[in-house]
Amino acid sequence: MTPERWQQISRIFKSAISLDGEARDKYLKGVDSSLRAEVDKLLESHRKASDEKFIDGVAAEANAALLIEEDELNEPPSHRLNKGQQLGSYVVLDALGSGGMGEVYLAKDTRLDRTVALKVLSEEIASDQRRMQRFRQEAKMASSLNQPNILTIFEFGEVEGLTFLATEFIDGETLREHLRTQKLKIGEIVDIAIQVLAALDAAHEAHIIHRDIKPENVMIRRRDQVVKVLDFGLAKATAERKTSTFTEQESEAATEFKTAPHVVMGTINYMSPEQAQAHAVDVRTDIWSTGVMIYEMVSGLMPFKGATVSHTIVQILEKDPVPLTQFTQRKAPAELQRIVSKALAKNVDERYQTAKDMLIDLRNLKKRRDVEAEIDRTSSPDSPRPTIVSEQVDRGPQKKRVLAIAMVAMVIVTAGIFAFSMWRSSRARTNRGAVAPPVPSDEHTLTYSITVQKFRDGKAYQEPFALPGEMIFEADYKIQIQMRTPQPGHLYIYNEGPPEGSAPTEFVVLFPTKTANKGSSLLAANQVVLIPEESRFEFDKEQGPETVWLVFATDSVPELEALGAANPNTRGLITEPARNRVVQDFLSKHSVQKPTVTKDDKQTTLKIPGKLLVYPIKLEHH
Amino acid sequence: MAEKPQHQITQLLAEWSGGNQAALDELYPLVYEELHRLARRYMSRERRGHTLQTTALINEAYVRLVDQRNVRWANRSHFFAISAQIMRRILIDHARRHAYAKRGGGAQQVSLEEVAMVAREAGSDLIKLDEALKILAKMDPRRCHVVELRYFGGLSNEEIAGVLKVSENTVTRDWNLARAWLYQQLTGSAAN
Repeated sequence: MTPERWQQISRIFKSAISLDGEARDKYLKGVDSSLRAEVDKLLESHRKASDEKFIDGVAAEANAALLIEEDELNEPPSHRLNKGQQLGSYVVLDALGSGGMGEVYLAKDTRLDRTVALKVLSEEIASDQRRMQRFRQEAKMASSLNQPNILTIFEFGEVEGLTFLATEFIDGETLREHLRTQKLKIGEIVDIAIQVLAALDAAHEAHIIHRDIKPENVMIRRRDQVVKVLDFGLAKATAERKTSTFTEQESEAATEFKTAPHVVMGTINYMSPEQAQAHAVDVRTDIWSTGVMIYEMVSGLMPFKGATVSHTIVQILEKDPVPLTQFTQRKAPAELQRIVSKALAKNVDERYQTAKDMLIDLRNLKKRRDVEAEIDRTSSPDSPRPTIVSEQVDRGPQKKRVLAIAMVAMVIVTAGIFAFSMWRSSRARTNRGAVAPPVPSDEHTLTYSITVQKFRDGKAYQEPFALPGEMIFEADYKIQIQMRTPQPGHLYIYNEGPPEGSAPTEFVVLFPTKTANKGSSLLAANQVVLIPEESRFEFDKEQGPETVWLVFATDSVPELEALGAANPNTRGLITEPARNRVVQDFLSKHSVQKPTVTKDDKQTTLKIPGKLLVYPIKLEHH
Repeated sequence: MAEKPQHQITQLLAEWSGGNQAALDELYPLVYEELHRLARRYMSRERRGHTLQTTALINEAYVRLVDQRNVRWANRSHFFAISAQIMRRILIDHARRHAYAKRGGGAQQVSLEEVAMVAREAGSDLIKLDEALKILAKMDPRRCHVVELRYFGGLSNEEIAGVLKVSENTVTRDWNLARAWLYQQLTGSAAN
């Protein structure tokens, strides 16, 4: 809309709003029809905005949760109960953690002399009568479930104004954490799946749908690896609340998904098609989510994961994931693939109809594998299976990288890292005495400095200035890496992505790129390389250290050469897990030897004996 | 903050009120830091069921940052104007960070993590509002200002009238129009 047209409309609006009833109608009749429609809409919006008290309060007060919640993320959680304190018949033994919903304690039930996990709900949640009613109902239903793979709920109660939930205490970790730390074998994955389905089978028999099956809701007991599914029933109360924020705005639900591309919704990846479309769900939604979870356990990847919520939803509704049999890290049997694809049938009628059916198939698979293993054991020893780079997996549009385009900037600061890599040819220091270790004939020296320049509205408004080494950057800093090698050598630079679930760390190839050095890692003496060539890297809003790995070597490094130059289609992102693992392994293996670091007022110099220098530049930003 | 003497901030504020835009560049980060610090402190202190009073917060920042003996009354309005802008920025920064926040934590708590959804959704509305305000600012800077002062700065219409040097009636009308337009933008019923 042009400012002129806007001025016209606002004038008419102003006049119309000061009139009411007939007078307003009369006035509006005389208005130009092309403007009339928009004025009418605005008047209607004005009425609705007043009715709904739209932005009626004050932003910071209405959104205080934003500030609070972050505090809880960053600061040690505050606990309302202390060790030794008594709550009803429970005595607090220890604080286990806290989340937005409340705190969790390890406690002793003095009546029955048993250890329990005590979840004390936050006041905010406990004061919501409607939600509490739901919780109470659901907890009551769930507490009737008595199955070894379901976390037992003992009591849902209220003492001294605190609302709490006492459950069986499991000393263990969630499947999410388990996946992070353990490399599961197919047999173990099948065992976990069987137990989850046994839990679901029992719950479904009792007409309880979980609705939120995901690795965070599955616990594995440390001592015997027994699986416990958490929060039966509670998931429903939570889900209810989740959708209620949508239904309040009804048709808004769809736009909410579309317009919030960066909002990560915790559970979207495990949602069934019917859930994602907000249709009615039944027990088969749990079967879908279990299928997603098995897929993730086997492949280390989410079967449906897009760059945004809406991309993910489209994948859930339309995409068939890469068959598990095609992943080479873990050899998935064809039967497991068949089971998973049946669980992930988009059409509910083609899916497993009951948890029991799926459970039977998984048990049969387990039996068959046990028999085969027995035969294997008695015939030939297991030969190690070669790991081949897995095929390209469609991961949807380009993920937001850590060095991505920052969103809004009042002040944009550009930082250039000028890294000079200097090659010291074989000027071996003489060995003096037998005690000194032998000095290798080669020594690598790498020098870099960071240059910061402030930008405003896209224009530089301050001269660039150099800093010695690392600093804490603000969110909207821009970065350019400049490298120079007085001697020839091979240069590789990678940006380490943030860890994501159980998937291997992802790297972005910053050098070589197809344009920067014609795709070659070999630098001539004194060649200056700019990375990126013309633009600048920017930090996004994600806080924390950013790592840029420098690898400089006399000889080319075959495993890194095999990765090739940065793929422009993925903006350098390495998408295949196997390839990322190669980079990760290489870096962790060779970064053990730390260079000596010296700084003057302009630059940092790294020195390392030998033919290979691997060094992470840590760029802290906030 | 402590090493920034009060008189310097007072001076910057005076310069900015006098029309020197460069003074704002220096002022902005100082006030941002103080308001952010106070907002966080208020939140941790008042987490237990109290509310965050934006005006009280800005007042406290004002008293702390500005040398009261050397300041003309007009500077106070200016301080509130810049503070409203900064409160907007602080909240949007938080909202964006929330959108990216990673979940984690102890084993038992993870199942409770859903709650974060609420804050994130609230955050996404705030981000949408911010985007819409940017469009409004281009078409109609004054009405955008009214929204900023009222919604982010917590100022009353009377105070806004003082800051913008217009009548209170004008502020009320500006508010009605801007709010109706923003409502349209956020509910997706915009005409253009």
